[in-house]
Amino acid sequence: MSATLLIRLKITDLAAWTALETGRRLLKPGINLERVAREQLLIFEPEQGVRADSFEGILGEAVRHSNFFVNPNKESYRFLSAAERGESWTPPEGAWGILTRPREDTRDERLRESLLREHPMPGLQAIRRGKVWWLWSRGPDGGAAVSDAYSALGDLRDPKHGLLVNPHAEAAMILTGALPWSLVERFLTDPAPAYRAAA
Amino acid sequence: MAQVAVVQIPGVNCEYETTRALQAVGLGARIVRWNEPASVWSEFDGYVIPGGFAFQDRIRAGAIAAKLPAVDRIAAEAESGKPVLGICNGAQVLVEAGLVPGFKHGRVEMALAPNRAPRRAGYLCRWAWLRVSPGPGSVWYADSIRPGEVIPMPIAHGEGRFLTADPGVRERIQIEGLALYRYVAASGGRADRYPFDPNGSMLEAAGITNRSGNILAFMPHPERATWLRQVPLELKNVWGEKRRAAVGRWDALEGPGPGRILFESLARKLGLRAAQEARS
Repeated sequence: MSATLLIRLKITDLAAWTALETGRRLLKPGINLERVAREQLLIFEPEQGVRADSFEGILGEAVRHSNFFVNPNKESYRFLSAAERGESWTPPEGAWGILTRPREDTRDERLRESLLREHPMPGLQAIRRGKVWWLWSRGPDGGAAVSDAYSALGDLRDPKHGLLVNPHAEAAMILTGALPWSLVERFLTDPAPAYRAAA
Repeated sequence: MAQVAVVQIPGVNCEYETTRALQAVGLGARIVRWNEPASVWSEFDGYVIPGGFAFQDRIRAGAIAAKLPAVDRIAAEAESGKPVLGICNGAQVLVEAGLVPGFKHGRVEMALAPNRAPRRAGYLCRWAWLRVSPGPGSVWYADSIRPGEVIPMPIAHGEGRFLTADPGVRERIQIEGLALYRYVAASGGRADRYPFDPNGSMLEAAGITNRSGNILAFMPHPERATWLRQVPLELKNVWGEKRRAAVGRWDALEGPGPGRILFESLARKLGLRAAQEARS
């Protein structure tokens, strides 16, 4: 179990706005995209045999009282200790998500090293990074039309199909409903699944 | 005189010097805005998408620009054999548009991923060393470069790492000689470490062409090395020697720099193409 930090812009997120504008043009008629939001996900992985709460206190202070992770002038955040975050990750109301990670190692070693230089803490093994796009889409039946929307907005296949994920550099996971954090952690920890060209 | 369009997409920032570099080798070049009518694009003999930050690199570098109708039109013109050169951000646009390497028509087969070098991350701005690996793009973009010649060229990018998740694509790029320009050590040997390998690009590729060779996605900035005065004094190899010898001699400083080789090659091939078309 790891502590988790979610960061999003509180000023206008122009990348999310552009994703919304561009995404609307890529969707099939009848599917509406109402909103897009973007969050950075950081998972703080404890060393083997170490409990996350051995460093969560210092980490929480670093998040709250330094500008190390969050610029309070433009970003908001949710810092969730391993105990606080619960068993599963629930998307914002009405939304579904696309969680992406680089195909290579998701560990940000430079960030960990500079964090430990400024805020020494015991037992922090790794900081892993992901990015999540939250999408509020609606199909003709009033549902989220996740499959069609992902086909249009997810993996890039050609200039007219796909947007948010270049599968040659990134792997993606769809988040619908409450998803166990253990699966999210595994997605970020395990090697990325092999690339399969879409038909 | 062959006419080249330098495509001005919101956020690019190298269109003026790219235009001057093309004009310096005798090409007609003018800046054309991305939202010009569709009919405008066919008037040109070639296209350059310059460097910068098209649409502020939102989502990914080149991701939004690759979906512009103008890029669609340029892709259609390229099918008739017209050249398309993407420099830096322009290269990212071409990769996101699936124009290189183009094994499967229109399919995106690569990414330009964030630089990856040991203990380094983010934007990188320095001079690199390049060598040509002959391939179908040689006649368009490297016709006068001698085998083994080492060419210095400036790079400035955060996402310059050519990458594919499809091992078959990587293999075909290598077999078919599409990695036209590769990073090398200053000595000309393999770029096996930073700074010679600046970003971890597959096959040490600095520029990859399509199979016909007329489209080149090129990460370095030849327009920033078109005149000798742009070469840094401290650069090693023959180009540094030329630059040091030119100190105080304005006429010599206005002479060609190493990046001009690429534009000269393009100009010669466009000239040949025009002559062939005139004959037929």
